[in-house]
Amino acid sequence: MTLLLQLLLNAIVNASVYSLLAVGFGLVYRSMRFFHIAYGAVYIIASYAVIYGMDSIGIPLYLSLGAGLLIGVLAGIAMDRAVYLPLERRGASTAVLFIASLGLYILIVNFIALMFGNEVKILSRGMEPSFQMGSFVITRMQGIQFLTGWIFVIVFWLIIRKNTFMKGIWAMGETPALVMALGLPYRAMRTAVFMLSSVFAGTASILTALDVGIDPHVGMQALLTGAVAVIVGGVDVFWGWIAGALILAILQSIAVWQFSARWNDLITFGILIAVLLFRPQGLFSPRKRREER
Amino acid sequence: MNYILHLLIMIGIYLILSYGLNLVVGFGGLLSLCQAVFYGIGAYASTLLMMKTGISFVPAIFISMVITGLFALIVGVPALRFRGDSFVLVTLGLQMIVFTILYNWVDFTRGPYGIPGIPRPVIAGYKFSALHDYLLLVAVFLVIIIGILFIIYKSPFGLAVKALRDDEMAAEGLGKSPVHLFLYAFVISGMVASLSGGLYATYVTYIDPTSFTLDESIFILAILLVGGTGNRIGPFIGTVFMILLPEALRFLGLPDTVAPNVRQMIYGLTLIVLMFFRPQGIAGEYKVQ
Repeated sequence: MTLLLQLLLNAIVNASVYSLLAVGFGLVYRSMRFFHIAYGAVYIIASYAVIYGMDSIGIPLYLSLGAGLLIGVLAGIAMDRAVYLPLERRGASTAVLFIASLGLYILIVNFIALMFGNEVKILSRGMEPSFQMGSFVITRMQGIQFLTGWIFVIVFWLIIRKNTFMKGIWAMGETPALVMALGLPYRAMRTAVFMLSSVFAGTASILTALDVGIDPHVGMQALLTGAVAVIVGGVDVFWGWIAGALILAILQSIAVWQFSARWNDLITFGILIAVLLFRPQGLFSPRKRREER
Repeated sequence: MNYILHLLIMIGIYLILSYGLNLVVGFGGLLSLCQAVFYGIGAYASTLLMMKTGISFVPAIFISMVITGLFALIVGVPALRFRGDSFVLVTLGLQMIVFTILYNWVDFTRGPYGIPGIPRPVIAGYKFSALHDYLLLVAVFLVIIIGILFIIYKSPFGLAVKALRDDEMAAEGLGKSPVHLFLYAFVISGMVASLSGGLYATYVTYIDPTSFTLDESIFILAILLVGGTGNRIGPFIGTVFMILLPEALRFLGLPDTVAPNVRQMIYGLTLIVLMFFRPQGIAGEYKVQ
């Protein structure tokens, strides 16, 4: 029983990282309505920038964390400016954007693998201090993940609720054509979406890399985790994304308890397919009338 | 010389794969990310049939095609309710699930240890073990399969699938059922992929699940996207380009440690550039929607 509760505690910590991934992915998916696969590449870029800063240039950890995040954000915006925006100007369909994004992901990930090698890189060395709470153990890194994750999510939610610009971004997903018609700054809004999305990806990436290290090929896993959480929870409901992340993390913990961690993908994608089949709008979206779709 | 024979055999195997997938991607207009599933099931089914029950190559290939076809039928019914993004996601989920099963069901598939020592095919007492013999075998299968597929491409069925791709509602109004026709296309392409799986397994004589990952599915789809879909020449150009590209790099003198990454970078870049200038691929007739 203690084991299960400890695993559930871990699940809540994991869910905070998954929530970051989900919010970052969901922002682009909700407001642009296309599948930003290169999001996985942003995830990789941020952590590798930190590693480069620390190991090759030799700047201290905290500075390189900031620099890593900044480079991730710049990369995200550059992807939009160099690939997505020009493609959209040519009237590209979502499938074309999807394939271009896939190409971008493959290009960047392999470039990083070429520069840094395919093996796992560790960011923090030495034993991680841990705290005893009753019969449960939580490491310092888990505490940081939990706090950072939830602070980011809650602050972001407050901003969407209060800020007109952010409300505009949320509305952009419903009727993109209206954004231009109302004279809202479409390009600035796009840039903001990619900037914020990359902040979330970079934060999740650095938090994970500090804990367990990173290799160039985990970006796809991160992207898929975020995407599955968003789709399971419901694309149109912000708290649905978070709930999706929580459901994913808890079910994976139960799978670890009952079978082994090797079956995690089965759980993740089993839930995805089940939700798409039986409740395609997501678990927490209200059912839409036919003419609303 | 052996090197060229090896390349020709691999081109043959991938030609079968890409012409099969063409039916779903080019004719049906559905981006499928689970072709490596059928390829893998074909490889595993034919290997296990040959090694565990001792039946010979040709019946093993046929039985595994039937098994894969049934599997494609079962997963196709729910998957083909979706279009666009959702279809991509469902096939991606299927790919991840089947890979996890192949990798972790150690009692049955030997999981990450793989299955070594797969026998080379024996047909009518003749063992196809030399490379040029094997190339002949692949060529025979290729000619048969492509012949059948070309007939399917021009048949009323193929044209009806194309009509559904171009305007599903109008075609449905003319009595073409998307439920049935897309399902048949999906099953046929799965069975064709299964055949390539069997050829691959007996050619390499060793299989493990890492040959049938999501990356492999993306690679097969990329062949079609680069070459072009919906006609008879696109898959050929795509296959030749994607298989010979890494070899061309080898002649440029790239060391083996960086070659795989450079190859992947080039094909990532190719996808982006094509989406800008030729969304239908080098020689395709259908632009993905």
